[in-house]
Amino acid sequence: MREIKTVTILGANGAMGSGSAGVIAAFGGAKVHMLARDVEKAKQGIEAAVASVKTDTIRARMIPGSYDADLEKAVAESDWVFELVAESYEVKEPINTRIAKARRPGTIVSTVSSGLSIGRLAKAYDEDGQKHYYGTHFFNPPYKMILCELVTHSGNDKKVTQALGEYLDKVLGRAVVYTNDTPAFAGNRIGFQLMNEVAHFAEKYADKGGIALLDEIMSGYTGRAMGPLATADFVGLDVHKAIVDNIYDNTKDEAHETFKLPGYFQKLIDAGKLGMKSGGGLTKVVKHADGKREKFVYNIKTGEYDPYPKFDIPFIKEARQKIKESDYKGAMEVVKKASGLEADIARYFISRYISYSLSLVGEVVDTKENTDGAMGFGFNWVPASAFVDFLGGPKETIKLMEASKIPVPKLLKDAKEGKKFYELGDKLDARSLFKG
Amino acid sequence: MSEKVFVLGGEQTDFQRNWTKEGKTFMSMMREVLDDALEKVGISYDEIKRLNKENRVAVFVGNFDAEQYANQGHLGAFLTEVNPALFGVPGARYEAACASGSVALDAAITHIRAEDYDLAIVLGVEVMKTVSSSVGGDFLGTAAYYDKEAKGVQFPFPKLFGKLADVILERYELKEERFMDALAEISRINYANAKRNPKAQTRTWFMNKEHAMARGGDNNMAVGGRLCITDCSQVTDGAAVTLLASKGYAKEYAKKTGRKFDDIPRIKGWGHRVAPITFEAKKLESVGDKYILPWTRQTVKDAYKRADLDVKNIDVFETHDCFTSSEYAAISAFGISEPGKEHIAIEEGTIDFGGKKPINPSGGLIGVGHPVGASGVRMMLDLYKQVTNTAGDYQVKGAKNGLMLNIGGSATTNFVFILGK
Repeated sequence: MREIKTVTILGANGAMGSGSAGVIAAFGGAKVHMLARDVEKAKQGIEAAVASVKTDTIRARMIPGSYDADLEKAVAESDWVFELVAESYEVKEPINTRIAKARRPGTIVSTVSSGLSIGRLAKAYDEDGQKHYYGTHFFNPPYKMILCELVTHSGNDKKVTQALGEYLDKVLGRAVVYTNDTPAFAGNRIGFQLMNEVAHFAEKYADKGGIALLDEIMSGYTGRAMGPLATADFVGLDVHKAIVDNIYDNTKDEAHETFKLPGYFQKLIDAGKLGMKSGGGLTKVVKHADGKREKFVYNIKTGEYDPYPKFDIPFIKEARQKIKESDYKGAMEVVKKASGLEADIARYFISRYISYSLSLVGEVVDTKENTDGAMGFGFNWVPASAFVDFLGGPKETIKLMEASKIPVPKLLKDAKEGKKFYELGDKLDARSLFKG
Repeated sequence: MSEKVFVLGGEQTDFQRNWTKEGKTFMSMMREVLDDALEKVGISYDEIKRLNKENRVAVFVGNFDAEQYANQGHLGAFLTEVNPALFGVPGARYEAACASGSVALDAAITHIRAEDYDLAIVLGVEVMKTVSSSVGGDFLGTAAYYDKEAKGVQFPFPKLFGKLADVILERYELKEERFMDALAEISRINYANAKRNPKAQTRTWFMNKEHAMARGGDNNMAVGGRLCITDCSQVTDGAAVTLLASKGYAKEYAKKTGRKFDDIPRIKGWGHRVAPITFEAKKLESVGDKYILPWTRQTVKDAYKRADLDVKNIDVFETHDCFTSSEYAAISAFGISEPGKEHIAIEEGTIDFGGKKPINPSGGLIGVGHPVGASGVRMMLDLYKQVTNTAGDYQVKGAKNGLMLNIGGSATTNFVFILGK
């Protein structure tokens, strides 16, 4: 692979475009053509890039430009063209046609797409272009979220893939996860499975606490900083819908039905209540005249917003206390032994998460370290393999899955007892992802 | 001395973690690091129980300021909360500002040398992200003469080490540009080294020479005279454990765990000197001396003498780069260069990762992070890794002897240890 000295960023003014450009200009020391619809927007992107990595030293090597005036010239002198325009074939394909015409042989072209087919997007290119076309799925904000899913398709060359992976890892400091060209790749496929199924359960238990109850059950003691529904509200319900619809339409695995968008999500989207970015969605925060903020949660039954409730669920309190004292296995023992609906739901989703993550090995990724990395670095969720260890090993985990009627993946059936199942320990301390 | 105290290894926490954000405390940090260290070294809590019955094991906790950061004193007794196997084990907390880890190591070494115990658990710990950086800066001021040097001063330590930079520049009549370039190179090396260390605080942070040179402005603010953010180590939450053993126990351990006794490194030398506490007194005392920090140099010399070694025998250094100026001064204190010519060693790449005398392959305090009471213990652990060829991606090829310098205050308490096989 050619040394990457000059890069073109398309979509330079977006959060992902400017953030990725900042990383490339800073860590990679590259000259970066910052292209947007107009030069003013591109200049804003440069300032956002400087602010994101907090170094003025990159400003001088970022060149603002517009698609209309500068795309061909910038692409022709680039070693890597990183396209971060809107997530649709209709927008990406015409741009790819232009890049393909201007591109020199050997130039890498990649997209940040979180769900579109890389193989289909690659079709805009000649044979050399297809060989050098990838998905480089960075996460937001790129400087802080170091995951990069490097998505390959059948036309890639293994040597180029390896060299690009090394560049992303060693030079840009990304935690690189290799995934195949499958819908939503690894991180979003696993993450949105859980989020969407939790959303269904919120509807099923709407009169017992609904959205707030499910997020409480799936809170920090289950290994995530933010509840799954708070995450959906954070990324936006429209984005959530686009991702789960894509997976639902293009996959047929055992969790297929769980990817159907819940009706109340659609209702909220139709009403323009997309989540935090639109001032409210599953939850909303109201600022009172005295400056105090009050949080509300959407009542799925009534369609109104109720004050966000507090819960007092003894087993969750006990598990949190154990985690606060770094007794992770003790916390999982509490979860395993607790009785009641909330504990049943917690065990169901812990089982589902592990089962689904491990079941994708072989299809979406080649090794479990890739799904573990995707969830740990991309979502800040405790990776599935680490969970197996905290639960007491494969046998104990299988017991939990069987009790929750969740399929047991082959990888777990074949695992050796008494040996650590989680193998990313030196790179990511999974304990840090539990919140007490 | 070199046949009395052996180092069996240990473990550190990931210095990137923020334990308060995780909803955890110094206590959980102690539990994780001790569990990890024992597992890594291959000593069980049952073994601790066995040794305790015969009064052969003791605990030494290095900590600077848990009273202020965590509202908790008496940390020496806290390992009993980690595991009941430690009930009854003699334990105490040791404090010497940023050299707290070393004073704990020193106590442990002394007890083993005196044949009081066979196994010493040395645990350095500091939780610092419990307060804002300005409040923490004030707490750290108590490592100086608070009333004279820190009271009412925002971030007193960068200012004290900024003064050290001023004195170096004036005393040796250096060209400012060349000197500041050398300091920037120290930052660059430490950050670059930290990228190879999976437990380093800054492993995902951006830094290069160009940025280190671009001092001033919002993105690399001046914090202490000439020194800017990139010249400073940054505090963090962290803990480290090293296990020290008597010769008899080291032999027993080697046999039990299938290791070769000759592969277990030993403490070959040590030095401990205390300079006048205020920076002004240090400056006045050093007028006319070749060294601006003569007591730091003396501590190194003491250690060399006790080990019967010299700089030519040392393959790797871990130094207290709380600021670039402190690492700069350490270069001549180690004997790598003449005083006043440190910049030449830096320019020639001598202290770089692949250089003849690599300093801080771990990343040092600037790269790994500076949990005050844990830093000395972490340095010893890093020397252990280097001389046993277990430092992974940051291994210095063929390292046999390593030296660490850990200082408390403005180079007030100086501790040096030499570890080798």
